[in-house]
Amino acid sequence: MKMLRNLVCSAALAGFVATGAMADGHGWNLKDAAAPYAGTTVDVVFLLRPGYEAIEAMLPKFEEETGIKINIIKHPYENALGEQVRDFVAGGDLDIALIDLVWIGNFAENDWIVPVDRIKADYPDIIDPDLDMDDFFPLVLNAFGGWNDTIYGLPFDNYSGLMFYNKKMLADAGFDGPPKTWDELMNVYGPALTKDGKYAYALQSKRNETQSADSFARMLWPFGGSFLDEKFRSNLMSVESQTGLKFRQELMKYMPDGIVAYDHAETVNAFSQGDVAMITEWSAFYSTVVDPKTSKVAADVGIAPEPMGPAGRKPALGGFSLAVAEQADEKEKAAAWLFIQWATSKANAGEYLKRGGVPARQSAYADPALAETYTFIPALVESWKDGVPEFRPRFAEWPEITEIVQEWGTKMMLGEVTTEEGAKEIGTRMESVLDAAGYYSGKKPLAQ
Amino acid sequence: MRGQVSRKTIFGFIGPAVIGLAAVGIAPLLYAVWTSLHFYNLTKLKRVEFIGLDNYWTVLTDEVFWQAMGRTFFLLGTALPLQIAFGLGIALALHQPGLTLLKTLCRLSLVLPMATTYAVVGLLGQVMFNQKFGVVNQLLGGADINWIGDPENAFTMIIFWDVWQWTPFVALVLLAGLTMVPGEVEEAARLETKSKWTVLRYVQLPFLLPGLVAVLILRTADTLKLFDMVFTLTRGGPGSSTEFISLMIQRVGFRGFDQGLASAQAIILLIITIILAQIYIRVFYKEV
Repeated sequence: MKMLRNLVCSAALAGFVATGAMADGHGWNLKDAAAPYAGTTVDVVFLLRPGYEAIEAMLPKFEEETGIKINIIKHPYENALGEQVRDFVAGGDLDIALIDLVWIGNFAENDWIVPVDRIKADYPDIIDPDLDMDDFFPLVLNAFGGWNDTIYGLPFDNYSGLMFYNKKMLADAGFDGPPKTWDELMNVYGPALTKDGKYAYALQSKRNETQSADSFARMLWPFGGSFLDEKFRSNLMSVESQTGLKFRQELMKYMPDGIVAYDHAETVNAFSQGDVAMITEWSAFYSTVVDPKTSKVAADVGIAPEPMGPAGRKPALGGFSLAVAEQADEKEKAAAWLFIQWATSKANAGEYLKRGGVPARQSAYADPALAETYTFIPALVESWKDGVPEFRPRFAEWPEITEIVQEWGTKMMLGEVTTEEGAKEIGTRMESVLDAAGYYSGKKPLAQ
Repeated sequence: MRGQVSRKTIFGFIGPAVIGLAAVGIAPLLYAVWTSLHFYNLTKLKRVEFIGLDNYWTVLTDEVFWQAMGRTFFLLGTALPLQIAFGLGIALALHQPGLTLLKTLCRLSLVLPMATTYAVVGLLGQVMFNQKFGVVNQLLGGADINWIGDPENAFTMIIFWDVWQWTPFVALVLLAGLTMVPGEVEEAARLETKSKWTVLRYVQLPFLLPGLVAVLILRTADTLKLFDMVFTLTRGGPGSSTEFISLMIQRVGFRGFDQGLASAQAIILLIITIILAQIYIRVFYKEV
């Protein structure tokens, strides 16, 4: 009996040791994996947003452990695409591509970025055994980092549209919670909250990506509309799209004057100053509106998923992935991957969240206690389940199409053209771009 | 040959400047012409192809291009007369005898707006014309004018800044012209007539015309390529209300990445600028 017990104990010990070795990732650790690449400098573009500041604050730990230097080049969003395109076309210094979800088709089709599978094949020693791609929210991974069934980037700065509301202003007007539907927002909350120089709602609509992504697209999807139909023809003249666009026009009476000049900063500021009761903004602005240093209404901020339309919630979806740039040399590619892998890892997701970032790791939100500290979490998780990857088309032609939408979308809001005239014009110009790209002749697959 | 400078010496003196000019001016221009004849989109470099004059045809038949051009000339037509009127007034005031120290200080202060970077002027405008916190609305008695978000107001704001920044330039050029009038001629004229207008029209104006032509050419060229201030202030908005021609070219070339089309637009703009400069020189110099 004693012998049998010893045998079982020995077997268990052996098993424990073996499992321990497995759990340690076959002895994998960041320091050893990075040793051949110590001294390498990796160039990357960052935006001037909270998620980037969060990772920048964590960076010394990575640089100390790996000896890899991360050279951050900061740009406002409006310049980030142009700077990167010029760098990639000219064979410049960038080793990592920062990819908005609408740039992914463009970057992938130009072979500017390296698929994750190729990194895994070429550099097996630097792949963290705990990488766990399945832990990313599938919608986010595919939309932000994937193109044509290939994953290129890992989700890094992740957003969903959320409704931020001022609990006090709503309570003073007799509401015990935010509107559940867009219709309710306009017809019930709008008149009650627009008074004494205050407005019920602000929709950021400045003529840049904000107009096409935050304003125009936000009113298409919940009403059943979309930019394109299945054959890649304009769907903007459909009853559903027109309903959404007309709704936006009507809703403007509950928004501040000059809303077409409001970008994210103005909108978040109007909410933070207590001038506007509700906004639908990216989750990334959570840390700004709940910080008493930047928000007068920090104590009164409530967060909910975006209201629903006749076609469902379909909230705004946006965010950035990081991918290894094809133009980087072998050492830089490996060092770049190590940084991307580290910045988006499960292990660092908690700290990233605490410092103001929004990780796309499901495991980071598993702890129910977190939702009490970070009140945006339940709404965010719900939104990522209801999101539409094609909220904005992600193909290579988007940079041209977004310019058209920005121009005519703003003209609609200013009343210079009707929603029908504007939609017709956008449709004609959009189809012309798609035709030139070869979608209608069959040269290019109808890929989103 | 004695007294004749050798070709080697001429080339030695002029050559470097010509080579420099060719490298930074002519070569990019030729490259722009080449680009304008191709489908050349930075995000579709695999599809670069010769398309002849297609880009030019697209530009010439594009309603949006001509709207931007019209807007640009409207700005020129409103801002330039104001600059000349105010500039002439300032120049005549500074041309008066006496108050030397004050005039020197005024002349120095005139340089300040010109020395301010265009982009900084735009950023200043964003703050000063802010609807809620801006000093302009405060100065107007706490008015609630939406400067940046309203198409007409935004355009007015651009005119204001352009006039503010460039009136001093016109004033200094015209002041230099006034100092060219021989003192005895001006004095004799003043003895002949009490009318300041007559003195201005028949004595001073002929000396001002070369400066005015220079102002017309330079300010026309500047307005046609006006970019930084508007980009930082309104980015062409709201809608297209302040999208001048140079902003449109930047949008097409660097945000839509269609370098071929943007090059064609730029070449057409260059041709228009040259034609205008020729007209100015022929019409006004003829009068001189």
